[in-house]
Amino acid sequence: MSSFIALPKGVTEETFAKAIKEYRALLGDERVRTDPASLQSYLKIMIPETVELHKPSAAMYPKTVKEIQAIVAIANKYKTPLWTVSTGKNMGYGSAAPATRGQIVLDLKTMKKIVHVDEELGYCVVEPGVTYYDLQQYFKKHKMNLWVDVPAPSAMASPVGNTADRGVGYTPYGEHFLVSCGMEVILANGDVVRTGTGGVHNSTSWQSYKWGYGPYVDGIFTQSNYGIISKLGVWLLKGPPPGGYMPFLMKFPKVEMLADIVKTFMPLRLAQIIPNACVVVNAGWEAAGYFTYDKNGKGTNRSNFFKGKGSLPPKVFQEIMDKYKVGAWNFYAALYGSPEQVALNWKYVSGAFKAKFGKDVEIITEKEAVDDPIFEYRKQLMMGGSTLQEFGLYNWRGGGGSMWFAPVAAARPSECDKQMRIATDILNKHGFDYVSEFIVGWREMHHIIDLLYDRNQPDEMHKAYQCFDELLKVFTKNGYGTYRTNIAFMEKAANTYGPEMRKIHRTLKMALDPNNILAPGKSGINLDIPLK
Amino acid sequence: MMETGRRGFFKQIFTAGAALAATGIGAAKPRTAEASVQEQIKGVCLFVPTLGKASDFVEMMNNNAPGSWTAHPLNGSLIEHYFTTKNLYEDAQSHANTFVGVVDPATFAIVHEAIIDCCGSFHYITYEDRDRVTFSVRL
Repeated sequence: MSSFIALPKGVTEETFAKAIKEYRALLGDERVRTDPASLQSYLKIMIPETVELHKPSAAMYPKTVKEIQAIVAIANKYKTPLWTVSTGKNMGYGSAAPATRGQIVLDLKTMKKIVHVDEELGYCVVEPGVTYYDLQQYFKKHKMNLWVDVPAPSAMASPVGNTADRGVGYTPYGEHFLVSCGMEVILANGDVVRTGTGGVHNSTSWQSYKWGYGPYVDGIFTQSNYGIISKLGVWLLKGPPPGGYMPFLMKFPKVEMLADIVKTFMPLRLAQIIPNACVVVNAGWEAAGYFTYDKNGKGTNRSNFFKGKGSLPPKVFQEIMDKYKVGAWNFYAALYGSPEQVALNWKYVSGAFKAKFGKDVEIITEKEAVDDPIFEYRKQLMMGGSTLQEFGLYNWRGGGGSMWFAPVAAARPSECDKQMRIATDILNKHGFDYVSEFIVGWREMHHIIDLLYDRNQPDEMHKAYQCFDELLKVFTKNGYGTYRTNIAFMEKAANTYGPEMRKIHRTLKMALDPNNILAPGKSGINLDIPLK
Repeated sequence: MMETGRRGFFKQIFTAGAALAATGIGAAKPRTAEASVQEQIKGVCLFVPTLGKASDFVEMMNNNAPGSWTAHPLNGSLIEHYFTTKNLYEDAQSHANTFVGVVDPATFAIVHEAIIDCCGSFHYITYEDRDRVTFSVRL
């Protein structure tokens, strides 16, 4: 019987034990763990696959770049693959579990230095274990009027991890990779590369000029396994003056209104009158936020309204909308600037929507929202605050299963409408609800769909997998790419981008990590699996 | 007071869970564990307020797994649950030997991260049904 809970593919127990001995000589016993209790935290997955497929063999906790350099040397020697996580909060995309069984989790939560915050130019340099909350606390402590754009699990997620996975947020700096500037990356051969102008001795512009000289390489270290990011520069927003931030909500009563909603706000978005990554949230997602407890403190969720099997009938959806006073679509956005600018822009925004929808739009500002918890959650997200309200989604259906299906839509009215209809049909066919939000980027929308199911029911697990598979196939057939996916579908999602792209990814892997020691399987890049 | 069915539920869950936690046994299944309490339980129980009052929980714990119990409702927003759990867990490490809870799935997702962010781990995590999760944390 093995003394490890899993072994890397192709590595014997004896070889693995030798590797662990060397890792322990480097980091000490406490920072190299193979016991089941320590590895348990990496097994809490929400995807519809068994834990066995994603069981790590060990976890390590380095604190310095030098330690990581030494770790990759040992990994190359014994061919022990390393699955890197920053804080491991990639919920719905695989959390902290490796794509394939037996990898060692290289957990960088112990690298927690905020290396530098530059208030004058609005940027910071952070290590992977720093969370968005840590940064917010730092700004507060040092009385800095700075905002960092956050993803929804802001309190515990890491700017390095989220940017490396090309996550998005909700302020004008919502596209996280776009507002990153300068990386420090440890390669599989132990080299430490600083991107952009970071390679210039005593560089003064590492976090202010992205492109450096020659080919721009930062992109190949995102959604990839070509290196380990040990530092990242992140651009920060200056907080607006008092009265210079105005979040608002517009509620629309009918599902069919989506195309007109997009048609109305996109000109405002392109003109930067609405400058932030605003969101269009469907009734399911919106209602789930109110579901944790009702006004009397009573726990509620979907089952309070529907005891049947399968997806919610439209009539029940309407009942939920009526009860919680949520729209079929709920558009959250914000205005920023001086109070005068905000007041003027509000005239354009409210005027455009009133002209288009008349009495069919309900407009809510902070004044009307009072202490509504969901308005507050959106308000926090659009100003880079801390909230975990999005976790309320897990009470919608219960059972702990969740997968983000995340296609990208060109921000055209007809395309968003078509994606919504296709997704609803497929989800309903498999017995699941359409629970979604569109996050509006520069010219596209991240169509984020939460496929919620019960992980404890084998038939629901099976259906959820089949449903996701069909979503991926049908969306691809219609010309829609996915922007990010979970560890169960990385290989399949990679295939949708065509053989030439897969060849480039593989060529880079062979050049940068010929022993395949860095996170094999991430984004489908794995030298152990031949390309079809 | 709690309804009778709920009392039965807690008796089943926490008698096994608390005993298991107090003996420090590894990741066994609580319902099949033949654990005996080797030391006095000093327990902390987290719960969501919909399931009852703190006094009910303390009474229940003392009846089913006698010891010194404190029960903590997770009130407020979900982000408050995260920080409350972290504080309670860190505090419990110095004065308790048992840390259990019964929560909804959303709250559990947060409790789980709070515990592991403090380098903690679980004896067990059980979905009693879709909407209710019980757990016991190692101390």
